[in-house]
Amino acid sequence: MSGTTANAPLAIAARGLTKSYGAGVRSRVAELWPARASSGSQRQALAGLDLQVPCGSAFGLIGVNGAGKTTFVKALLGVVLPSGGELRVLGGAPGDVAVRARIGYVPERLALPASWTASAYLRSVARLKRHDSAQRELTEAELACQLARVGLAGDAGRRIGQYSKGMRQRLALAAALLGQPDLLVLDEPTDGVDPLGRAEIRDLLLEERRRGATLFLNSHLLSETERMCDEIGILSQGKIVRQGSVRELCGAEGSWRARFAQGSADALSALGFEPLADGSYALRAETPLELDQRLAAARARGALLVELRPAARDLESVLAEVLGR
Amino acid sequence: MRAAAWIAFDILREAAARRWFLAFAIVLSLIHLGILIGLRLEVVDGALAATRWFGTELGHDIRTADGVMHHVFEAATYVAFYGGLVFGVLACCDFGPDLLAPGRIEHLLSLPIRRLELLLGTFLVVMALCLIGTTYGAGGFFLILCAKSGVWTLRPLCAVYLASSAFFAVYALMLTSSVFVRSAALSAAAGGVVFVAGICAGQREQLAALFESGLQRQLFLALSSPLPRVSELAEAAAAIAVGQPAPPALGRLVLGTVLFGLAGLAVGAWRLEGKDF
Repeated sequence: MSGTTANAPLAIAARGLTKSYGAGVRSRVAELWPARASSGSQRQALAGLDLQVPCGSAFGLIGVNGAGKTTFVKALLGVVLPSGGELRVLGGAPGDVAVRARIGYVPERLALPASWTASAYLRSVARLKRHDSAQRELTEAELACQLARVGLAGDAGRRIGQYSKGMRQRLALAAALLGQPDLLVLDEPTDGVDPLGRAEIRDLLLEERRRGATLFLNSHLLSETERMCDEIGILSQGKIVRQGSVRELCGAEGSWRARFAQGSADALSALGFEPLADGSYALRAETPLELDQRLAAARARGALLVELRPAARDLESVLAEVLGR
Repeated sequence: MRAAAWIAFDILREAAARRWFLAFAIVLSLIHLGILIGLRLEVVDGALAATRWFGTELGHDIRTADGVMHHVFEAATYVAFYGGLVFGVLACCDFGPDLLAPGRIEHLLSLPIRRLELLLGTFLVVMALCLIGTTYGAGGFFLILCAKSGVWTLRPLCAVYLASSAFFAVYALMLTSSVFVRSAALSAAAGGVVFVAGICAGQREQLAALFESGLQRQLFLALSSPLPRVSELAEAAAAIAVGQPAPPALGRLVLGTVLFGLAGLAVGAWRLEGKDF
């Protein structure tokens, strides 16, 4: 958890959260008619999930398909009703409309009205978001600004049916950003977006974070999660099985990779540099001083340092390790 | 509840782009145009001397225009009443399932809208479409007939609006069935069942005689008692259209139909509140 958010109030607080699909009717059958009760067809999507996300942070939720990520995201929005446990979002219940007015959501798949234009759609979402306030209509300036932010300024008058998947995703993001939400829940926000578009969206989300918004990202693109989030949780079988900063999860502390332009492999090995298959060397140095001394020793033996980076594992290997695959 | 009105407004805009409704509007307009151009009624001193359809004489008998128009209005009221209900069931069966479609419902529920408002918004828009369709279709038809015959009356149009009260009950059950199972076919089937059951319920006294007296007959009467009296409403509408006094039980019939619809909606709202998407 980053220092700036360590003592911040919580945007999301889940304690012992459970969700079983098919539990409602079957549990009543079990109460009334125990002999007929069966638990075989019940599916436990969340099994006692505990999670705290401070306001202003960027949290990424990762896990394999069926881990319960989408169920948790839907529970945050009140779309799915938890079977047990406690869930608070922005200090209130997810079902509270006042809480939902402070949330922007980009769903994994969004059914947009094909016959509408982007302008008409954003105006509609703005009206529904602000229906209780005096200024519920989106002004021309607000609309133009919102469309420009997501790179759709030139396509405002086109029908949504003619949009590509990436454009639809951008429009969904524009809708989520309406009203400057305090919490952005993003379910695969860059799905279908080209690499340059991804970078634009990433910048936009980081801009939102600087504004003070909390980001909650659910993505299969682990590199996106790694780049955007300062805290990551790994979800498996409905529980958070590991949580921490990218640095903590990927274990970069004290491990380094160095690449030299020249220098004898034997000499470097003698200095404790472990040769790797890609031609680089692994080394451990607990302090910056130790690292500097070891590199100086290598240089003294004629090695020219061309690259030095922390030897972090990527999230994919961390995920595989945590899930035992 | 302001959100319900905005939802209704948005769905209405979407409905305007539907081929079904565009086709319906075009067909109605063509029928109006056909009658306007093709039908000639020669009325002399309040008597209908001749009726021509694109130049072909349809009848020679000289009868009072008033009397002939009564028959026409009666027949047209039945056609508009039952035809409108059947069209409504078929044309509106996917509004509920569309609203609850994956990718749409999650987004709507993530907005600061109550679930009840979603249901009400959908219901309101279908009722608005029903009233617009009735006003345009039946209103245009009766206006042309009145203008051509010189028999001016608003009664047939008022009578056809009674179909809207029947559709209130039918669509409430259709929407509720969509909340339980998101299927346009099932929604249409639910509408069809209420429609047919409502016709039977309107004739329940006569139909009860077909059952043996005793438990079977009492059971039939008990089961049919909460159903909307669709056929009774149609008969009342036809009576009003031809200038007869409204049946004394009309208020009770309409109230019962509306209550049936509201009860259906209440079940739908209860289910929607506890449903996961």
